[in-house]
Amino acid sequence: MAYSELIKSFGRIRGYMKEFYIYGFKKRNEYTRRSSRSYDNERRRIESYFGDHMGYLRSKDGKNVFISVDTRSTHKNPIYKALKAKSFTDGDITLHFILFDILYSPEISLPISEITRIIDEDYMQSFKKPLTFDESTIRKKLREYAAMGLILCEKIGKQTYYRRPEDIPLSDEIRYVAEFFSEVSGCGAVGSYLLDRFPDETPVFSFKHHYINGALDSEILCELFCAIRQKCSVRIGFEPRHGKSEETADVLPLKIYSGAQNGRQYLFAYHLRWRRICSYRLEYINSVTVGKPSDIFDEQLERFSEMQKHMWGVSLGRSAQTEHVEFTVHIGENEEYIYKRLLREKRCGEVERIDEQTCKFSADIYDTAEIMPWIRTFICRIESLTFSNRTVENRLRQDIEEMYRLYDIGDE
Amino acid sequence: MELFHEIYGVYYKSVSEMLSLAVKGELTEKDMKSICDSCAFTDSHIEIISALKSQRWKLIRSDMTTPLKHEPTVPLTALELSWLKAISLDKRMKLFDIDIALPDDIEPLFLPEDYVVFEQYKDGDPFEDEHYITIFRTLLKAVREHKKVTVEYNSNKGTHRRITGDPYELEYSEKDDKFRVKIADCRFADVLNLAGIEKCDIIGSARPSAQKGQFSSEEYFIAELTDERNALERFMLHFSHFRKEASEISDNHYRIKIFYDKSDETELVIRVLSFGQFIKITEPQSFVELIRGRLIMQKKLGIR
Repeated sequence: MAYSELIKSFGRIRGYMKEFYIYGFKKRNEYTRRSSRSYDNERRRIESYFGDHMGYLRSKDGKNVFISVDTRSTHKNPIYKALKAKSFTDGDITLHFILFDILYSPEISLPISEITRIIDEDYMQSFKKPLTFDESTIRKKLREYAAMGLILCEKIGKQTYYRRPEDIPLSDEIRYVAEFFSEVSGCGAVGSYLLDRFPDETPVFSFKHHYINGALDSEILCELFCAIRQKCSVRIGFEPRHGKSEETADVLPLKIYSGAQNGRQYLFAYHLRWRRICSYRLEYINSVTVGKPSDIFDEQLERFSEMQKHMWGVSLGRSAQTEHVEFTVHIGENEEYIYKRLLREKRCGEVERIDEQTCKFSADIYDTAEIMPWIRTFICRIESLTFSNRTVENRLRQDIEEMYRLYDIGDE
Repeated sequence: MELFHEIYGVYYKSVSEMLSLAVKGELTEKDMKSICDSCAFTDSHIEIISALKSQRWKLIRSDMTTPLKHEPTVPLTALELSWLKAISLDKRMKLFDIDIALPDDIEPLFLPEDYVVFEQYKDGDPFEDEHYITIFRTLLKAVREHKKVTVEYNSNKGTHRRITGDPYELEYSEKDDKFRVKIADCRFADVLNLAGIEKCDIIGSARPSAQKGQFSSEEYFIAELTDERNALERFMLHFSHFRKEASEISDNHYRIKIFYDKSDETELVIRVLSFGQFIKITEPQSFVELIRGRLIMQKKLGIR
């Protein structure tokens, strides 16, 4: 089959884009999931979507391809472009523009027979080799558009009439709303679609600490949002850790968590067989099939709300028991900002001022290991550590000792 | 609701723009190429122009006219409407001077409580405060219309200053949950925290050639990483918003070069420290010394 920039399924390139963007050090022969030809085609497509954001490094072992984006200077998430690469047929695109040209105002309402006649007489006849659209093809397209909210179907007598809905005026203000929220909101790709309806203009917003990888999971997120709003269970197909083959789970989605410091997105859901709340990384979910509404949604959501009070990140621990974490930091002269940092950055727990030079943080959380990276950010000021989970406490102490060795810190 | 659909695609957008010109009898082959270059992918023009010229897509005749009678328009999809409804419930929506008239029967794609942003700092900007909203709107107007402003500014360090300059971008950080404004032609600052602005007035037009601040990723550090406790994935994700280069040195060991702006250096030192012993900074020596300095202080302090 001839190469095309367009793709039928986004899942096809999602994995490659993640590899190129997040890691970017693998060589061609290390991509073993599909054939080399498939790799070449996907790489070529991604090059086409990402343009200047693609980079290459050559070494004696070969060439590695990567996507590198400084999101502080890139105003629009470049991954959204890849979501605008869905393939279609010649008939799809021809019908699309002609249908909306015929139904150009909400006042025009026509039955299928009339639409078919107009297409044939007013549009196709001006071409030497006209396409013939039969009624069933046109009806199928109109129904597809009706399901997307683009067309309204009204039954008058025995006939169905088709028309476009009333337009929502797209003011300039909506442009700025779309520009901002397309980068910071769930399913921001939809905001990018809206933005495409406006003429190009210099962006007014830029973003710092901006993670764009969540865009790769837009389709999955959209399905999960729909399930949450309808309180429906879903069957998810996902890749478990450690590279095992795909598994499925029947779960009741409750909430989505999105990390502001790594861009990871998680689904929190009630596992219908295990009868407990679990989390799943969205990037490992390959498919979502929406099932039926569940009458235990509210009950499980309330249960999860209680659990949220003891979550530092996304871990719910192994035993659903909380662990106590306590550490003190030294605040030097003119270092009041350290106290403010503790208050600002803590996600749960308490900050207590012991004296002018000492602050104590304490919390009861599900998984002590999750808070370790944050505690390490206070290195140079940590005075004491007291964890109920002594294994984790000892590990953190050893880690810091190991850092001294790594940087040759003696007894300066 | 289908999110990955051809109607949102760059091919449809390109053809739509071409048809807008063709309806007016103004389409040329040169336009076709430039529209493809601005709307679509690098090589899209080959397929799009060929499909239209060969009349595989029966939309443009050989004389570059079209049987279409109107410039193409497409109503908003249910997905777009429900997304707009969802963001209309976001607290930050109050910053914008708009009330989107959505049909009553549109359900939001999600509610604010369905989508939790975690790892976010607690002292975010007061997006619902009337004074803050006024400042935001004034600055948004100034950026959009290229105006000069004068602001009364209270810095984080407790100083007060009157500043005049040309705001050119509003920068948002999700981690900080704060807006900052980038400002050109200003002697005292390149960037101001919105929450620190006491008063803001538009005083005239911005200078077209105003000197903008430099937010360039000229600095870099090189880290050697040992992939234990999933450190590789965590590090690559955590630093994914920077320009970077990565290579594998040997099994389980990686070399990663991160490019950053000098003004973010202290923050980066802290972020590197959070990865503990799995990361060793090897270059430049100045960055290594920043890490060593903190470790030396910690060792002196000791941990009870």
